[in-house]
Amino acid sequence: MKKEDTVKLISAEGFEFVIDKKAAMVSQTIRNMLTSPGSFAETEHGEVTFPEISTVILEKICQYFYWSLQYASGKETEFHIEPELTLELMMAANYLHT
Amino acid sequence: MSQQSHSGSPDQMAMYIRVKHCKTTYFLQCDPTETILKIKEKLHALIDQPVDDQRLILMETGRILDDSKTLADQKVENDAVVALTLRKDDNEFEDVNIVRPNDFYQSRDSDGGVNC
Repeated sequence: MKKEDTVKLISAEGFEFVIDKKAAMVSQTIRNMLTSPGSFAETEHGEVTFPEISTVILEKICQYFYWSLQYASGKETEFHIEPELTLELMMAANYLHT
Repeated sequence: MSQQSHSGSPDQMAMYIRVKHCKTTYFLQCDPTETILKIKEKLHALIDQPVDDQRLILMETGRILDDSKTLADQKVENDAVVALTLRKDDNEFEDVNIVRPNDFYQSRDSDGGVNC
């Protein structure tokens, strides 16, 4: 894994999650950011800040990205979501087109 | 959303671990048969710390992971949280240093002296 193949997602509280671009692109919103020709400033630095998404939710989202790739490659497991996170997670998922 | 288009064998997606240090979490894709040394090499590509200056600790058990052994040998499973500690100037390794969101709010005012 090379640094160029990763992207850093930053939460509201300034926590950082370094994940594979491939995983991040499970989100259509992030995919658009990383692949659109106009090139977002975010893409150049490989960093995307989400001031609206809390750390707990952002971590859950990253876990979902990887789960989603695993699921797509045939490993059918369940994705566990704590009930108290559900609403906030759904709002973030809607925003990220995930 | 399902995309089957990504290249490579399905094994590539066998598992991932979450390596945490200070306020950063690295999601690393790996295989149960990989050694800890391999994991440290992957980390070396992301952070500039040489393999010898890294120590990995499985959070669930608090066990220091052995370079020569594999993930499976040491019961590091999918989605496991592993702490990364780095060698300090005095040649000792630092203590586990993982900041959680709640700690952060408290420590921001008091400035708990965590060197991240």
